[in-house]
Amino acid sequence: MTTTLMINGEQKSVDAPPEMPLLWVLRDILGMTGTKFGCGIAQCGACTVHVDGKPVRSCVLPVSAVRDRAVTTIEGVSASPTGAKVQKAWLDLEVIQCGYCQSGQIMSAAALLAATPNPDDSDIDAAMAGNICRCGTYVRIRAAIKQAASGRQS
Amino acid sequence: MSPAMRILAGIVVIIVAALAAGLWVLRGPGPMAFSGGTTVALSDYRGTNPAGVPASLAQASLVERGAYLAKAADCMVCHTAPDGKQYAGGLGFKLPFGTLYSTNITPDKETGIGDYSDQDFLNALHRGVRRDGARLYPAMPYTSYTYLTDADALAIKAYLFSLPPVRAPAPANTLEFPFDQRWGMMFWSAVFNPDTRFEPDTSKSPEWNRGAYLAEALAHCGECHTPRNPAFALDNPKKFAGAITAGWRAFNISSDKQTGIGAWHDDDLISYLSTGHALGHGTASGPMGEAVDQSLSQLAPDDIRAIVAYLRSVPPTPSPDLPATLAPPAPASHKDGVTADARGKMVFEGACVSCHGWTGESPVSPFATLTGAWAVNDPGATNVAQIVIAGTRRNTPDGAISMPAFGDAYSDDEIAAVANYVTARFGGKGSKLTAQDVTELRKQVSQ
Repeated sequence: MTTTLMINGEQKSVDAPPEMPLLWVLRDILGMTGTKFGCGIAQCGACTVHVDGKPVRSCVLPVSAVRDRAVTTIEGVSASPTGAKVQKAWLDLEVIQCGYCQSGQIMSAAALLAATPNPDDSDIDAAMAGNICRCGTYVRIRAAIKQAASGRQS
Repeated sequence: MSPAMRILAGIVVIIVAALAAGLWVLRGPGPMAFSGGTTVALSDYRGTNPAGVPASLAQASLVERGAYLAKAADCMVCHTAPDGKQYAGGLGFKLPFGTLYSTNITPDKETGIGDYSDQDFLNALHRGVRRDGARLYPAMPYTSYTYLTDADALAIKAYLFSLPPVRAPAPANTLEFPFDQRWGMMFWSAVFNPDTRFEPDTSKSPEWNRGAYLAEALAHCGECHTPRNPAFALDNPKKFAGAITAGWRAFNISSDKQTGIGAWHDDDLISYLSTGHALGHGTASGPMGEAVDQSLSQLAPDDIRAIVAYLRSVPPTPSPDLPATLAPPAPASHKDGVTADARGKMVFEGACVSCHGWTGESPVSPFATLTGAWAVNDPGATNVAQIVIAGTRRNTPDGAISMPAFGDAYSDDEIAAVANYVTARFGGKGSKLTAQDVTELRKQVSQ
């Protein structure tokens, strides 16, 4: 089945079964491998993308359920001022260790800041708890979110 | 007769009369008595035959007709063990007094029903009597199947006999005394099994009669959705008012507007029965999910409409423990709305919110929307806990969508906490489940 998707502002036509998760379409059909496969059951956050600005786990989202909603992936997150600020803070604070979860971390953080420009710790918990980091970079993730929000290094 | 004898005889008469009156009250009306119309024998009915298969299958072979009827009667779900062969039995029903296992109904001669004559099969379906004369327990819903016509029952038999025989002895039941005494069911059946075939109601439409036949004789909706009386028979004065069966709550499907389906649109009911979901009404899981997958989703559209027509006519019985109005979507911020139960919130934000959202309206799929579902509006939180434990899976027009099972990942304490948080945030009134309650719920599920 041919589906037309709006990904990072560009129209893409893909031939995929309707039930195929968006993540597979991104990685295997479109070759956009920045979004990672972690658990496959929406429990780790590595596959997070934005759908109409909201963070969604692309591993459980059937491609046909995306419909005409705009998809943003890690490859396109820097197009928004919030996304760019988050990426910069991540680089400034050297958040990343192994990096596998970090696409998802950045997507969740960017969605958080777009909705809540000045998050407190409980907002960060509420938005980021579903993104797991095996290296344990949580402390730096929290600091980077605060820096991206304030523009200052905390 | 001496005065003493006379007094004794009087006492005996009073006791017998009291017992008879008690049984009469306990037996109550039949499942279709509420309609109040005149019933006639099926052979005397002039409307479209409410029994049998839909018109599209009228020319089909006996086996094909039996396959449709076996689906409508949902035989397979109970007669198949988890990961077992279809119809080979072995599913365990957990009762307070032991476990009862379903039997092999493939045509294997030794361990199945391969030696059953037509009359043996009718005796089982209509009367709850096995080929060897032993009594069945009413976990086999023969008090519903008793309304099946002989022709339909035998079509089901023809279908079952067309299946490959599977050698699978049923595990031995572990029922305690006195429940292990099958002969006792003779008395239960004498009181509670009407042993009568479906009789159409001439005051109702042919569609209603078809719906009644489907819902009562085949789909046996009441076996889960009608509460039971102290003798474990259906309490038909409270028909379809909802009950807890096998650890899951079958919600009120009477025509009550607040807590039943009285306010649902026909299209919503049709959608829920045929796909397991109706927008804003939640998604079928657990036993109802199985009923949709294996039975209702495979029925002809006209048959679903007939069931809806019949459901509409069932008198309203409110569920006093459910809120009169369903809770609206929760606030978008995690800080607003109910924030109690810190532990439940911690589990929710880690494992649940990415699909269900803080509002309860899912960013992934309407099938995962919590808002409007009875499960989260039930202060007992029975089904919320069960779905968290077992997960769920549903076929949608967009392909299958599923929620993973968390029963092995979270402790009973954590599951109770998240169920309490979810019902408080997305329902009218939060539950107060304890870890002990969750432990109990785990034990009640058929497996």
